[in-house]
Parts: sequence; structure tokens; C-alpha cells
Amino acid sequence: MAQTSRPTSVLDSLGEEIVRIVTPVSICMFLVVILVSVLDSSSSSPTSVSSMATIAYSEADSDSDWDKFVGALWNSLAFVAVVTAVTFVLVLLFYLRCTRFLKLYMGFSAFVVLGFLGGEISLFLIQDFSIPVDCVTFFVVLFNFAVVGVLAVFVSKMAIFVTQGYLVVIGMLVAYWFTMLPEWTTWVLLVAMALYDLAAVLLPMGPLRLLVELAISRDEDIPALVYEARPVTHGDSGHEGGVVQRRVWRERRNSAHDPTEVPNVNSMVNPALHGNSNNDPTSYANTTSVANGNTSPGSLSVNSVHNVTNSVAAQERLSQDSEEKSELSAPLIDHRINVGSQGHGDTIPSENLVLEGMGLGSSGAIKLGLGDFIFYSVLVGRAAMYDFMTVYACYLAIIAGLGITLMLLAFYQKALPALPVSVLLGVVFYILTRLLLEIFVVQLASNLLMF
Amino acid sequence: MTVEAGIGYALIALGPSLALFVSVVSKKPFLILTLLSSTLLWLISLIVLSGLWRAFLPLNSTTWWPYAILIISSVGFQEGLRIFLWRAYKRLEDILDAFADRVSKPRLFLTDKMQIALAGGLGHGVAHAVFFCLSLLTPAFGPATFFNDRCSKMPFFLVSALIALAFVTIHTFSMVIAFNGYAEQNKVDQVFVPVVHMVAALMTLVNFASGGCLVGIPLLYVMAILTLMHCGKMVWRRLTQN
Repeated sequence: MAQTSRPTSVLDSLGEEIVRIVTPVSICMFLVVILVSVLDSSSSSPTSVSSMATIAYSEADSDSDWDKFVGALWNSLAFVAVVTAVTFVLVLLFYLRCTRFLKLYMGFSAFVVLGFLGGEISLFLIQDFSIPVDCVTFFVVLFNFAVVGVLAVFVSKMAIFVTQGYLVVIGMLVAYWFTMLPEWTTWVLLVAMALYDLAAVLLPMGPLRLLVELAISRDEDIPALVYEARPVTHGDSGHEGGVVQRRVWRERRNSAHDPTEVPNVNSMVNPALHGNSNNDPTSYANTTSVANGNTSPGSLSVNSVHNVTNSVAAQERLSQDSEEKSELSAPLIDHRINVGSQGHGDTIPSENLVLEGMGLGSSGAIKLGLGDFIFYSVLVGRAAMYDFMTVYACYLAIIAGLGITLMLLAFYQKALPALPVSVLLGVVFYILTRLLLEIFVVQLASNLLMF
Repeated sequence: MTVEAGIGYALIALGPSLALFVSVVSKKPFLILTLLSSTLLWLISLIVLSGLWRAFLPLNSTTWWPYAILIISSVGFQEGLRIFLWRAYKRLEDILDAFADRVSKPRLFLTDKMQIALAGGLGHGVAHAVFFCLSLLTPAFGPATFFNDRCSKMPFFLVSALIALAFVTIHTFSMVIAFNGYAEQNKVDQVFVPVVHMVAALMTLVNFASGGCLVGIPLLYVMAILTLMHCGKMVWRRLTQN
């Protein structure tokens, strides 16, 4: 039927940025659930995962619930303590302007995750499905995969999908590793990390907040891994225009530094502000992660003074997550991990890897730290280990939490932690589903009564 | 029975919703968000209901009247929720219209409003299918199948997938009818939706009798087709009115 050309309704494009963030988060969670259910690791011994997160107590099946809970509490405290320490070290390094070192470390961590973690998981898959592949081919393919991944997160000129895809894969691999922790430890750890995130970003002496403020005051980018959704372009600049005009932004940015707006820059940008960025070239669809120094973090658009804060805030989270990463790298390097023996060098880098929290990217797109991807997926992966009903319930809870955080972001215009609301909602829904919903639905459905 | 069978059952329950999603909802991000929110609300209502009924479960599976009370209370609660959803939708409509005025775009068209109602209904339907059918499908991916005593002609998974499909249809289009009824102050539409929901839910009680599902499921589909036709008539009338 012929359509009369009527003006596009407001419904056509509203909410697009949110969907662009929700989609990769959902994909990451979906992949982790598939991995968890396919690689049903009831056979593999849980004791094989000894990492920073289990130094205080390793769960044994025979312990009572209370013992497990207390042990998990000690584990989480130890983990959070290490994460805090490493984040402060990151702040120190950033303060001393060791940016190059941080970036190199980030690339190294990405390589370790993709190469070693990805390799181990591929080995599990090959074992389970008896895929015929020889060592040489496997090694070559894995090596290439890892190297391309490092380039994708390092270099700004990669195709956007490749970068985004690799970030999702990194998140998925790390999350899968976390699901191999014992059950009580995982849940208590999730809650502990959510609370830590809340404290680190909002308290005045929180390491992430310090990092954000440092980066803003210096107008610099924090080298970190962050997922930046494609900005919603409004038909403006093409690639070239963007490049040319970026210079203009830089200059503009310097001039924008003078106005008194800078102080209140400690905010995350309101996605709605993005509406204003129509006119400016920031709509140039460069969504490569802020990791590479090219994209000026603040990559300010006209109103992007706020953006600076955001990216900074985002980067704060990043450091946080990298800590987890370091712990994750630990098992790869040496399974007989001893906290003491781990040098500083190992623990620092991971910080750069992931970033928790949200911000608004240079082009007005929403940025979400990789740590958020990871912990959401860990929650859903753990729920998958029980049953699929909990998976659906936790998925909806996390997306709802993400939506609420985005709305708060629009409202408060500040760097916000993305973990607390989602993780706490997810844990609540998991418990409610497991205790209440399951028996209700199974009772009804097994008698073929539905409403 | 196998992975293929499992996927087959899932598609029986969710196939039409998937088609609706891809063709209508996925094109407009706002509708995706509406779908997710209404799914979440349905889940919350289900959790509240299960919380209320937890003390009485597990019910004795030979008597049917406790189940009748359970179903009546649940449907009543959900219909109440629909009215609450309507109020929330009215406020949302005002916000959207104000926003449209601000960015100098036209206000919401009739088709837009119907699409939002459709996405909301689809959310309810998908939530129903996911929680009542899909979450029980996990054994279906394994090597064997399962038969229910009272309905021994077909595998249990197939029966529950068919019932879920009927309910998905009912939920999806009821929302369109209900929102339209509230908007137009049309009493027939307003009463139609809760009545159909209650009748359909009570009809599943027929499955309690041995061999009852042979009668219950076709009746359920009669209700689903009734809803579909009523919705179609109403939409046609409204669109040709202008």
C-alpha cells in the first residue's frame, strides 16, 4: 500500500540509545548462559579455580550453609580489598602520568584474556564436542584472534562492529571464568562489588571518583576498556567530516575550558543532551573505545563539557574492573596462586581492562564499562546454573536496573555506578524466583493450568 | 527429545510473537523498551501472586476447586494491573506528546498508540510463554520426552506449548482491545477483555479431568480466535473511521 509521506512520528527514534546499550549487554548475557549450559561443569572440579576470590576460604560441599556464608564473606572482603588497593595504585600511576605504561598494560591484558582464557574455553568446547582440530591450526587461529582483538581495543581505526564484538567477547570470557567460582562466594562477591562500586564512585575519597576528577582536570583520557554504543546520528557528518572537525573540537574544547561550566562537569551526560549534538560533528560515528588516546575523552561536543566528566567517570570504573581482571589473569599465569607472590606488575594492568559505570561518550553515545558487562553476565550465568526460570527473571531484573540507572544518569548528570541497582535487583529477583515463583509455576503448569 | 525438538516446542509457543517482534516492534526502539517493561511487570505480578499463595502450596492435585480459587484470584489481580497500566500509559502519552511538541514533531498517531498497546500486550504474552512454557522446556532438549497422566496422547511439552500459544494470542490482542476500550470509553471492549481472560483461564481447569485436554485446548483456541477477530474488527473500524 502506498504510504503518503507523512512526517515521522516521535516514536520512531525515541529510546534508541538505550536499546543500543541493552542489545550488547543482552548478547553478552545470552552467550554466557549458552556457554554455562553447554559446558555443564558439574564434572570439572570447582577446586581448579583458585584465584584471588577464593584465597580466604574455598567452599567444600560438606560445609554447613552458615559456614559457607561466612567463608564467602571473607572471600569477598579479601577481593574487594585487593580491588581497592589496585585501583588506588592505578590512580597513582595516572597521577604520575604513566599513561603509556597503562595503555600497554591494557593491551597486554586484552591479549591474555583473549589468548589464554579464550583458549581454555575453546579447549573445553573442543573436548565436549570432540571437534577434530590439530594443535598447530588451533594455535595459529587463537593467536590471530587474540592479536586482532588487541588491535581492536587499542587502535581507533577498526570497524566499529569489530571493536564492539571483541569487547563483548572479552566480557563474556571473563564472566565465564567468574562463574566457575563456588556458589556462595559468587553471590556474596556480586553484592560486595555492587556496594564497592557505589562507594568508590560516590564517596568523595573513592578511588574512581578521584580518577575521574584527575582526568577531567587534566582534560585527558583514561586508558581503559569501555563499551561505547554507536551514537545516534542525525544524518550529519560522514567519516571524513568527522575527522576534519575533530580538530575543531579540540580547539573548541580548550576554549570551553575557560567558562565556569567546567566545575560542574562532574556529571554524566544526559542522553537527552545528545539531541543538541545534532549540529556538531561529534555525531561522527567513531565509537571506538575510549581506550585509545585518539578520542579525546571529553571529546567534547558543544555541550560535551559534561562528556568529559562522563568519560572520566567511565574510566574510573575501568580501573576498578581491571583489578578483577588481574585476579582473573592470575589463574592463567599460575594456578597455584599465592596472593603474596603476585607482584604489583601483575595486578595493576587488569585495572585498565574494564570499566564499570556509565558515562556519555564524546559523541553523545552512552558508554558502559566492561566490568558492568562482566558482572551482569556472571549473575545471569550463575542463575543459569540453577534453572532457566531464574535466568529469565534475573535478565529482566538486570535490564530494569540498567534502565533505572540510565534514567538516573539523565536526571543527575553525574558519574554513576551501573552495578548497584542492577545487581541488587538481580539478586533479589533470583531469591524470590527460587523461593516463591518456581513452585507456584511448576504446580500450575504441570497440571496444565495456565492463566 | 533432542535439541531440534526443544527448539521446535519453543517456536510453537513463541513463533508468532517472534514474527510480530521482528516486523513491528524491532523497528522502533521505544516499542522494544515497552515490551521489556511490560514483561517485567507481568513477572512482578506473578511473583506477588506466588508470594501470596506460597503458604498454601503445594496443593493437593486431586481436588480442582483450590486451583479454581487460585486462578480466579490471579486473573483478577492481573486485570487490576491492566487498569493500572492504562493509567501509566495515559501519563506516558502526555509526556510523549509534550516531547513531540518540544521537538516540533507531530503528536502520536492512532497507529502509534495501537503499536504501543500491541507491544505491551506482546510483552505480557511473551512473559506468559517464557515462564509457563519455556522454563519447563529444559528437559525437552535431552534424549527423552515426558507425558502427563491426564493428557497422555501428546507429549507434555507439546501440550504446554499449544496452550502457551493460545494465551500469547489472547494476551497480545487483549491489550490492544483494552486500551482502545478505555480510550473510547467503550463499555463492551472494557468488559470483553477481563471476561475473556477469566473464561480462558477457567477453561484450562478442564485439563484437570482425565483426557480433558482434548476438549480444553480446542475451546481455548476458540477464545483466542474470538479475541483476534474482535481486535481485528475494532482496529478496522477505528482506522477507517478517520
